[in-house]
Amino acid sequence: MRKLQFRILYREFLFRLVDRDVLSVSAQGDASRLLGQLAALLILLSIPFAFPIIHLGNSRLAHDKLLVTAWGVEHALIATTMLIVGLFAVLSWDSAYPDRRDVLVLAPLPIRASTIFLAKVAALAVTLSLTIILFNAASFLVLPLAFAPPDATPMDLLLSIATYRLMAAFWITMFASGAFILCCTLAVQGISGQLPRRFYLKGSAFLQLGAFCLFLIGYFLEPSLSSPNALTATGNQAMLMWLPSYWFLGLFQQLNGSISEPARPILITLATRAWLALGISIATTGLAFLLSYFRTLRKIVEQPDVVPTSGRRHWLPPVGNTIATAITHFSIRTLFRSRQHRVLLAFYLGLGFATVVLFLETPIAQEFSGASGNHLWHQPTLPLLASSFVMMFAWLAGIRVVFRIPLELRANWSFRIAQVRPAVEYFAATRRAAYVFALAPVWILSVALFLCLWPWYQALEHVTVLLLLGTILVELWLAGFHIIPFACSYLPGKTNLHIAFLLCLMLALNVILWSAEFERKALSDPHRFAWMIAVLTTAAFLASWRRATAVKGAELRYQEEMPPVITSLKI
Amino acid sequence: MLELLNVTKEFSGIRVVDRVSFRAEAGEITGYLGPNGSGKSTTMKMITGLIESTSGKILFDSEPIHKNPIAYKQRLGYVPEEPHLYPHLSGLEFLSMVALLRNLPRRGAAERIDGLLRLFSLHADRHAVLSSYSKGMRQKVILSAALLHNPDLILLDEPFSGLDVASALILRSLIQELAARGKVILFSSHELETVERVCSHIVIVHRGKLVADDSIEHLRALMALPTLEAIFAELAVEQDTAAISRQIADLIQA
Repeated sequence: MRKLQFRILYREFLFRLVDRDVLSVSAQGDASRLLGQLAALLILLSIPFAFPIIHLGNSRLAHDKLLVTAWGVEHALIATTMLIVGLFAVLSWDSAYPDRRDVLVLAPLPIRASTIFLAKVAALAVTLSLTIILFNAASFLVLPLAFAPPDATPMDLLLSIATYRLMAAFWITMFASGAFILCCTLAVQGISGQLPRRFYLKGSAFLQLGAFCLFLIGYFLEPSLSSPNALTATGNQAMLMWLPSYWFLGLFQQLNGSISEPARPILITLATRAWLALGISIATTGLAFLLSYFRTLRKIVEQPDVVPTSGRRHWLPPVGNTIATAITHFSIRTLFRSRQHRVLLAFYLGLGFATVVLFLETPIAQEFSGASGNHLWHQPTLPLLASSFVMMFAWLAGIRVVFRIPLELRANWSFRIAQVRPAVEYFAATRRAAYVFALAPVWILSVALFLCLWPWYQALEHVTVLLLLGTILVELWLAGFHIIPFACSYLPGKTNLHIAFLLCLMLALNVILWSAEFERKALSDPHRFAWMIAVLTTAAFLASWRRATAVKGAELRYQEEMPPVITSLKI
Repeated sequence: MLELLNVTKEFSGIRVVDRVSFRAEAGEITGYLGPNGSGKSTTMKMITGLIESTSGKILFDSEPIHKNPIAYKQRLGYVPEEPHLYPHLSGLEFLSMVALLRNLPRRGAAERIDGLLRLFSLHADRHAVLSSYSKGMRQKVILSAALLHNPDLILLDEPFSGLDVASALILRSLIQELAARGKVILFSSHELETVERVCSHIVIVHRGKLVADDSIEHLRALMALPTLEAIFAELAVEQDTAAISRQIADLIQA
């Protein structure tokens, strides 16, 4: 009986953990297909990491030298594994611990808390293992070949103890690093769950967002210290103690027996730190799990999910006419109070921020700008111009996506029943909300930032360009946006996170760099600048005219329509 | 006056409402009854304009409701069967949003919302988010939203659902008061006792078809049955309820 209950619950929890918008549309509710989709995505992501290892294998370096040179690739693999597991843990934030649904559905049934607990742990362990194995599959296949002596035959490799030690070290390190980051996330979540429920519910959303930003920023801002010189430099010692991915690099070298002088002391210290951190995180998570199953299950039912708050803080100023005010206030409240929407927006901002870091904080930035240090910031350099474009695009793209995702779709009857004005007034109201959300925040921040950094006339010129560009993008987006934000059904699977998306992203980055370069030249040439402003203004007017034409006579949509399915008769 | 003329609704070829015709007069409370799945809520949704009928006409004051839906919705108040609300908004925020969407003057709307919240005993919880409200409290918010703009046509789909005794008594009197002030009220409920006390006119549907459309007194006299419950059982309940309950008890004991 308990085994059967465990199996059923395990499948349910596993499906809930893996069920993501990017995957579920093709899976169509089939758990095996969903896992297949996840596997395919992770294997696809693993392939690019195999190329540097193959390149190392072909480099014909001496074995000792090869082992040291490989630290960079090994560190990248460890850090990316940690990032993927971390993002997975953040996206599955509410799935690991029992929630209200679990308690209300499962508590009246004759199921022991320990069965629910074990099923959740098993689902988590399987998901973690699958993620780590699939993401590292391609690298694992080529790793023994890369480290093999040039004249070694396949039989030599199979009979070599070093090969098996390398494989064991590789998997232990990857599992340990993934388990560490997962356990840290779960421990934070579980310990905060011991707070009074109303505080937990308030704080949990911020913790989730914080963890999300921390993982992304940590990954992209982490300095490259994977060489003996960098690892032994006195100035880097304190920093290394705070960078978990390097602890696990030390662990890998320790397990693989590839620790060599002069980095031996620091690598051993890092490895020890990795073991300690792993032990502490697992113990804390175990404790948090036990506490949550024996202490918080009842609290979930007894205490409301949201607490009463003071009303004065929630006053918002009117934004135009009554409909514009209603829609803008509704959008503000939804965005500020819906965790799902905030996390999604944070994802887009994180992508934008990562690109900005790439432009501003890496040697590429120095190459692009031809400037260094303070000079990079105090003049209209290519990286800085491109960064402002990227942040505007990222924010706009994020707002566009979150506006489409409804919150409590079944409640949209209130909009439908109260639609007492022509649809065109609702489109105008949505347009106002779009400007307030998608354009105003980034633009106002840009004005403040560039006025602080640059001479006022250059700052004004650039923010004018930003404003026009933002206007064009908002108008183009709104031409096909015939819904009230957060109030229309959404067909899953539109995230389009596939190769075409990545290719478009690369193309967009190139266009941004080209545009930034064009603007940089125009900022020092008044004729060119005037011409650019004229072109952008015309484009903004055209986009606005196109939107106005598109919404004329259009109806407000409350339900997204399925694309027509064409069935071939194969005659 | 609300008038339905041969209204039919089909979902994927399945006829849910089949040529239903009736009238609901101003100043009258019309009870709309039927067993589960008889098409009551579908009819209500067609009258609100949330879904379109497959055929037939729905007229309000002799005008088809789709001729000028905006003008029609300005005069319509609706309490849906399920109290689905935006859980992240407070009661006050939700009602303010509805008032803004209905284009009500800001000051007047604020006073009206405040008054409704006080009269429905929600004032102390007006800043709490709706997800923390009980079902009865959510029902009161929906009732307030439906009455905020002083509608001429009020559609009540299970309005007593979740209400406590005091609130139910208030609502019962309120429905009668509104009817006395000339509103058209269409009231759907499974609580036959309440319907019998409140409604003057009854419409009963069964399997999507109209089976009765008359005053309660006339139906009682015509069918020689003492109560609305007996009339309803005669017209819309096909099963032997006592036998089924016996079978269920036997089944779970087996």
